[in-house]
Order: sequence, then structure tokens, then C-alpha cells
Amino acid sequence: MGYDAIITRLPLRALFDLKGKRDVLRNWCGDTLPPFPDHPNRLTEAHGRQLVHTGPGCWILMASLAVEQALTAALRPDEAPGDLSVVPISDMLTFFAVTGPEASDVMAVATPLDLHPRVFPPDGASWTEAFGIRALIRRIAGGYEMAVERSYADWFEEALVRTTA
Amino acid sequence: MAADLHRLTEGGRIDRSRPIRFRFDGREYQGFTGDTLASALLANGVRIAARSFKYHRPRGIMGAGVEEPAVLVELGGDLASGNRPATTVPLTEGLVARSVNTWPSARFDLGAVNQLIARLIPAGFYYKTFKWPDWHLYEPSIRRAAGLASAPKQPPKGAYEARHAHADLLIAGAGPAGLMAALVAGRAGARVMLADEGTEAGGSLLNRRLTIGGQPALDWVAAAVAELAAMENVIHLQNATVWAYREHNLMMVHERAPANPSLLGRNWRVRAGQVITATGAIERMMVFEGNDRPGVMLASAAQAYANRWAVRPGGRAVIFTNNDSAYAAAADMAKAGIPVAAIVDSRDTVPEYARAQVPDVDVLAGQAVTSVTGGRRVRGALIAPVGGGVARRLDCDLLAVSGGWNPAVHLYSQSRSRIVWDDTLAGFVPGAPAQAVRAAGAANGAMELGRALAEGAAQARAAVAGIGIEAEAPDVPEAGDTPYTVTPFWTAPGAGAKAFLDIQNDVSVADIELALREGYSNIEHVKRYTTGGMGIDQGKTGNVNVIGAVAERLGIRPEEVGTTTFRPPYTPVEFGAIAGRRAGPVVLPYRHTPLTGWHKGHGAVMYEAGARWRRPGYYPREGESFQDSVNREARCAREGVGIYDGAPLGKYEIKGPDAGAFLDWIYTNVFSSLKVGAGRYGLMLSDDGLILDDGVSFRLAADRFFMSTSTGNADAVGQHMEKLLQIERPDWRVMITNVTGQWANATICGPMARKVVAAMGTDIDIRPDAFPFMVFRDGSVAGLPARVARVSFTGELSFEVNVRPRDLPALWDAALEAGAAFGIAPIGSEANHVLRVEKGFLSLGHEVDGTVDPYDLGMGWVMSKAKPDFIGKHSVDLRRAAGKPRRELVGFRPLDPNRQVPEGAPLTPGGRKEATEGFVTACVWSVVENRWLGLALLTDGRARIGGRAFVRLPDGVIEVELCPPVFHDPTGERLRS
Repeated sequence: MGYDAIITRLPLRALFDLKGKRDVLRNWCGDTLPPFPDHPNRLTEAHGRQLVHTGPGCWILMASLAVEQALTAALRPDEAPGDLSVVPISDMLTFFAVTGPEASDVMAVATPLDLHPRVFPPDGASWTEAFGIRALIRRIAGGYEMAVERSYADWFEEALVRTTA
Repeated sequence: MAADLHRLTEGGRIDRSRPIRFRFDGREYQGFTGDTLASALLANGVRIAARSFKYHRPRGIMGAGVEEPAVLVELGGDLASGNRPATTVPLTEGLVARSVNTWPSARFDLGAVNQLIARLIPAGFYYKTFKWPDWHLYEPSIRRAAGLASAPKQPPKGAYEARHAHADLLIAGAGPAGLMAALVAGRAGARVMLADEGTEAGGSLLNRRLTIGGQPALDWVAAAVAELAAMENVIHLQNATVWAYREHNLMMVHERAPANPSLLGRNWRVRAGQVITATGAIERMMVFEGNDRPGVMLASAAQAYANRWAVRPGGRAVIFTNNDSAYAAAADMAKAGIPVAAIVDSRDTVPEYARAQVPDVDVLAGQAVTSVTGGRRVRGALIAPVGGGVARRLDCDLLAVSGGWNPAVHLYSQSRSRIVWDDTLAGFVPGAPAQAVRAAGAANGAMELGRALAEGAAQARAAVAGIGIEAEAPDVPEAGDTPYTVTPFWTAPGAGAKAFLDIQNDVSVADIELALREGYSNIEHVKRYTTGGMGIDQGKTGNVNVIGAVAERLGIRPEEVGTTTFRPPYTPVEFGAIAGRRAGPVVLPYRHTPLTGWHKGHGAVMYEAGARWRRPGYYPREGESFQDSVNREARCAREGVGIYDGAPLGKYEIKGPDAGAFLDWIYTNVFSSLKVGAGRYGLMLSDDGLILDDGVSFRLAADRFFMSTSTGNADAVGQHMEKLLQIERPDWRVMITNVTGQWANATICGPMARKVVAAMGTDIDIRPDAFPFMVFRDGSVAGLPARVARVSFTGELSFEVNVRPRDLPALWDAALEAGAAFGIAPIGSEANHVLRVEKGFLSLGHEVDGTVDPYDLGMGWVMSKAKPDFIGKHSVDLRRAAGKPRRELVGFRPLDPNRQVPEGAPLTPGGRKEATEGFVTACVWSVVENRWLGLALLTDGRARIGGRAFVRLPDGVIEVELCPPVFHDPTGERLRS
């Protein structure tokens, strides 16, 4: 009897890898971005867009795939100044939702990240390891969302599903 | 079914209303819920339950828990597993068990013939005996004869799980100290994980008749467990052993019976802020001739069987001790109706409080048991004064022994913390910690119950204070217990070849003396020579006795002998629990490209081709052999046009004002001079001047590059670059983004490639002059946004069409449709291998094997003379300044054109049995020469071109002719066309 959780492979979304100093990014991106998170490994959200602070000088912007072109036009990756890196990475990651009453058990099997609310608050989002590969994790309603490099997605999904089988 | 003859009429923590039937060594027995296999066997009068590892001596149950050294069983049916101590197997309905290392049974075992030749097979005999002609000739027979269980032949019916957890405080052991610590930390709000190896909490309290706060101690235990269960911040696991202590307080906990019924076991990987080892203490054996005879049992075990399982382990007992704890055991045995003939105490004087517990039992102070009588079980004990004198016999069928107590410091020691000798306890106790760990209770030498409770509370307060949580001082209840004193008594007079220090491995006093005579006086050497302390029980009852025996014979103190290394696992752990769900098809990651489904659907033979990518090896058509397919695909690219899935190629975007300087630093050649839109092939070296990776980088803008790496080394290159930037050049303004998964490519290659791209439709000017080799263009191909690069791995005209992975299937279909008129066909990695060998292009893992530099491969041209420095330069210069011969890349053709040479085959001078002078890196059937040919790394190879070399194989020698390592288009006209 596996855990009572639902594993859902999510559709592509618009993703941009942002690197550089916060002020430079803010100047370049303007209102395109949600407010910058106050702390690393936190996420902010505005107008359906999420901004994850993934490391020193590193952020990921997430949004619906429907606005990918608009965001590309606004962020102008090819024209970004030299001390700023704006790279479209929408196809890099495959996202999974892990939801249900025992989603936390599935996560405990998958990842060593401490997801206790005291350590990983509702706005937590972080790169970590899941089943031994790099994964981006955040909370969502009723569970968690995980993203892995797309080439691993089939294997990762199989590994996740085994916890519920 | 045998009768339950030795069960007491009342008492014990068994459920007499729930009988259980089980089988052992082919016979059927009955026990009760709450029994272990060991307690049930004893209740049924089974005295010989095992045979010893080496001599096949009859053995009975000696312990009551994980310390059991003698009786290991193999379980059958759904619980199939091997080498389980019978004392740790909960009795379940229908359980089937058999003793290990016996045939046909423990009672009658043909292997017992070994006892007749015991004198000929002492410790280390096989090191000396089975040397000629080869140890491996004998090894299988010896392994078969040695006594452990076989692995189950069928996979388990059920799943295992490995999961992660975090705790402010992990407490190993739910005895009095551990429970007290959990209460204190839990009440303070700390995240507590309490793990205990027993099936129920209480530790030693389950086996004894003690009081806490004036009430039975087990009432306090029940109240503590209930309080902990109500705390949301506490995870309490029973039947769960903390079996390993790793770096940064990473603890391994093996839970044997998780609540989830589908799970056979679970391994927890717990990262703990603080750890308390409340692991109790383990009783030592006494060492005398025949101390392994069935009927010899640890005194604490006899006490446990009487109190906890209501079992009478013998009809008439003699106690042999050197400490006070056995007196309480004797008292409990007497209360259970087991007559105690005498207590033999090796100490000259026995404390009054000890005697007072057994006023009606004879206490023989200053006496020792020197041997036992009885063949298959104890019939009596021979008693003599410790200082020597006439022995007399005491009749008994149970000889309960207590050689003192060893604090269970295993976990504490695994944390790399110090353990130190304590004269008062005659044992090792925790010393200075190396991690955030504390010990409490008997594990810390607090042998009396009151001290254990107080220490549990104090250590918990200190532990949670270490993570910023203030815990209130609890009211530690009064406990009814007596003091504990011990005087070491390592070996009895006359102890020799049948006085066992390590019961499980049949290591006797005589074996230790032999090791010392042969010069193995260091305790680590003693361990390896005799195997004392090895095995499944890891010397729980014997290790300190071995140390004491060595000290006694060398005339030094035990602390001068020291200890061997305590290693995990503390108790056996099933491999399944360690692996968890990572088994079967998901045991290792696999990676797919967007075209994996297409490849499979078109019959490709898929296999891993570096970095976990599953790639098409070849696409066999009906009636084709492997070689037919590879030849067809290779010809397709050479003569017409082919297409392959290049998605796995590693890719990075490198941006920043210092990006050009950074590439100049990590590549051997210059990249900062590249014009925008142009690319260059480069080699990366490691710090020691050996080739790390190769690839092509294009300049996208003045401060922006697009780097490709080999598939297999993509991640390693990314880590290499990040490490350099973060550690060695943190001031450089360079940003790296991995875009391997953002760009996928279909590479169209062959003389017809340009026509196919044109037919697909593109807004890029693909004429040779407008789009030359080593240039990229952004545009659209087949209506899809694309970045097209003129690079070639096959030696042919190639267009590497990079698109978003979501677009790759459409691009692929468009190429196949447009190329159909030109005979396009997909080619797999096998054909690619042929093409690159013909062209003499290097491949990581073949020619680049971690030992070569660019000069070895004839690529000195890539080592920039203009740059003052780059990674690996100094190492290359230093190494080559030594002027020593190097293995260099050459091509070869077997003299017999139809003779294939295995890749990796050694080259030796004249094909003789001598040290190799190189090896074959690749050998393929060439479609341009219609013969076998290959590449090799050969000492001074370039100077030998035109000569011969010899491949030495088990079935003969293959002579080859050496040639330059390029077989096709040496001037590169075709790839630049």
C-alpha cells in the first residue's frame, strides 16, 4: 500500500534564469518581476508570476507559458547588459505536483530537504536533491511542487509513482 | 507439536490468549504473542539451537537481545532472510525458521566432525595452509563450509522504504535514560526522534523488577510512552535500531516493522541537531573452558526470560559473576521458581547489599567456574578457588554468567568521539565528543537506575540548550535499585582452546595466545588474525573480553591495548531497507531526449551512452545484423545524408565582462579573440594537465558565449567552472547558466546535408561562403526558431540545428520528410563511433582516458603559446620537461583486414607476455576502407608510424600496421564544404 498522494506532471511554463546584482536586475526588468524575496530560498508572487531567490545573485522567474513571448520581449535576454544574465530556460525543467493527505511522506522519501514549516515556510522554494538528482522544490496548495531537469522527468516520475503504488 | 514445558504459569509480557504456531528445524512448536523466537524455543525446551561457525559445536541461546552471539537463524516464507539472531525475531503465526550452518539440523549436525580436527584448524590456519597454488582454488569450499545463512533466492514480497527525517534531538534508546530525555526535550517543544531497537519501550526495565517513584518501573514506562505519543513534536519508533552515526549528525535508523503493512522495513536517514546515545549496556561473558555449552547463558538473559517472557531457562541454576548485577538476576530467577544452587563470585569480598538480595543462596566468594560438565548441554560446573586449588562439581543445567557490563559505546564511537577506559566499571565509556553528541544512562556508565534517569534529564536539557531551547528541570522520580561494582576477571584458570572469547566466531583463549605468540600484539592485528570481534554481532559480548585477555597476557592495562574500530551497522540491516524504493527500473536514473519515444517506436536499440542518457545505438532493419545496420548508417552519412539526435550534448551559456578571459583560462587555446558569430574547438585540462573535456564554443556577443561540452562530462565541466569562479576567481564577473535542457538538436550530416536543410525551409543563408565551418546563425528552420551551427563530429558537412526541446519532434519530422528524397536515415551512436574513428576525432572515454594531454593526441597545436597561463599549462610543461616516454595516439590496420581487434586490448612488445606498451582505444569496420581499422595509444607511437605493433589476446596475437590516426579526409575538405 503506497502513500495516499497524487503525482501530477505539470505543463511547460515560462522560465527565465536571472543572474546579477539585484539593483541591476530591478532596473533592467522593471515591473516585469514580482518584488524580490527578502531572503534566499524564498519565493514572491505577483500577477501570476513567481520569483524564486535560488542563490547569491541568482533568481528564477516563473509564469504561465502563455506569457513567455511577452516576458521575452520585456526582459530582452539578448540585449541585457554585460553584468546581467537573462536566459530563457522554459524547456529546462519539468514540474511535478505532489498533493494529497500523505504528500509529506512522498517528499520524505524523495528528498532530504527539511520541509518542517519552521524551516521551510509557506513561501519556501529551494534547489535541493530529490532521488539523488537536482530538484527545485516549493510548497503549493495541498502539497509540494518539484522541478527536475527535463531529461530526467520520465525516470523521476516513475520513482515518484512507486511511492504511491 | 512439542509441549510448552518450560513456561511459567503466570507473569511475563506475553499474551497467553493468543497462541502462535511456528516451525524450527522442521519441527512444529507453540509460543505466544509477545514471544521472540528465542523465548519460545526455550519455553519448548529447545536447548541446542545452533552450531558454531567453525567447529560446529552445539550452541544454545545465550542472550536475550541484539547481543546474542550464538543462535542465528534463517527465516523462510514471506519473511525470508538470513542470519537473524533468534532473540530479535518476534514470533508470528506460521513462522518458519532453521538454524544456520547445520545439516540436517542443529541437534544432529554432520558438520560436527570438525570438532575432531579442531586442533588442526586454529586461528589463521587457512592463511598458512591454502597458499599453493592459489587461495582462490580453496576459497569457494571454505566459504561453503563456514557458517552463515544463504541469501533468499526470491525477491521479497513487499517493498522497503528509505526516507529522510530531521530532528532537533535524536535519542537512541528508549530505556529509562532515553525516555527521560525524550520527555524533557519533548515537553520543551523540541523536534524529537526517539528510536529504540526493542519491540516495546523500557530497555532493561522490561527484564528487571524495579520501581520508579514507588511504582513498578513499567508503569512509569507506560506513562512516559503515552505522554510522548501525545506530543506532535515527537516521533517515537520501536523495533528501530540506530545503526550508524555518520558525519554532521546524520543517523541511520532501521525500522523493522513500519506501521504501513506493505513495507517490510524502512531506513530513516535522520539529520539531527543533537544526539543522545542512551543505548544501555551489554553484559560480558565469563571465559572458562566450555563456556559455550548449551545451558550457559548471560545472567541478564536468564533474568529477562524469567521476568519478561515467563520462561524457565533451566531447572537448576548456578550463577558465575564478578559483579553485583547478577545478584538481582539470581533473586528474580529464584522468585520465578528456578532453584539457584550457588552464586560463584570471583571477587574475594561481596558487598552486603548484593548478598542481601539472595539471603537463601550460597555465595562462593573468591571462586571461579573453571569448566562445565556435559556433552550436548550443561550438566554441572566445576568450581575452584581463583588462586588455585581443588575443584568441585555443582550440578546444574543452567549456568548464568555475568562478566560485568560494557556501556554500549558503539554509536558514540562511530561519531568519531573518543572513548576512554574506566577502571571503576572495567569498561570503555564515552569521552570527549567529536560531534553534537552526548551519552546518557548505562551507555555513559550510569549503571544504577536513579543515575540513569537523572542523566537522561540533564543531558536532554543540555542538548536542547545547544540549539537554543530552554527546557525545564523535571522532577526526576526516585528509583529502587542497588549499586553496581565490578572487579575484572578476564579468564578463568585453565582457559584454553575451548574457552571462547568470541562465541560467534569460535575465537578461543588459545587463539588469542597463538596470535600473540606469532607477533600480532596490536589489537587490530589480533582482530584480523583471529576474527575476534568481527561478524554479525560485532563482538558485543566478546570484544572487551578479548582486550582484557590480551592485556592480561601482555601484562599491561586494557587502556594500553585500546579498542578496535566500531563500525556500522550496529545490528544487521537488510539491503532492501538501505535501497528503499530505488530498486528495479529506477535503481539508477535514466535520461530521455524529446525523441526517445520516436527512437523506440522506430526499432532503435537503446542503451546508455554517458551521463545516464539513453540513446539509440542503431536502428536495425528487418534481416540486418548489428554490423549490417551500423555499416548502412555510416555509409548513409558518408555518401548521402544522415540525421542524429544530439540533444544530450552539454551546453552552457557564459556571460559577463570577464567571460572571454574566463574561457581563455579554462581552455588551452584562445577564445577571447573570437568574432561574434564564430566558434572554435577547444580542449580543457584539469589542474594536473590532463584532458578534462573538449567541445566547441561560439561567441554570441562581446560578453556572451555558448559552450558545448561532451555528453558524459557536461555536469563535471559545469562543476569545474563553478568551482573555479567561486573559489579561485570570485572577483571575476562571469555568470554561467546550464542550458543543456533548453537546447536540443538534430544534426544533419553528409554530402547532401545542405540540400536537406534547404528543403526543410530556412531563412538562413546556408551557402558555403555565407555560412562557413565553425560559424553559427540564428534563424528559422522548418518554421521553427533555431540556432544552426556548422560543426562536425562525423567529418562530413554538418548542420547542427538547435531548437527548443518542445520543437525537436517537429524539426525531426520535417528533416525526415525533406530528406526522404535524398535517402536520409537516422544514425545511432554506433555509426557515429565509426565515423569519428575514420576521421580520427577523439572521444572521451576512449582516447581520453584520464592519462593523456593534448601532445599525446597529436594536438599540440591547441596549446596556446600566446597565453601566459591557462589551467593545466604548468603541469603539462613540468611533465613533458621530464622527457619520459608517453603513450601517443596512432592509427592502425590489422594485417588481416577482416580481423577485428577488441577495444581495450593491450599492446605488448612483439605480442609477448610483457608489460603493456599501450592499448586499443577503438576499432571499427570502416565503410571508407571496407576493412577493420582503429586507434590506439602506444608508447612513442608517432615515431613508430609505418612500423608494426602487436595486440596480445588470450587466444593469440594480432599484428597491426601503424599509421597516422586519420583515415578519411585528412585535409578536412568535406567538413568545410
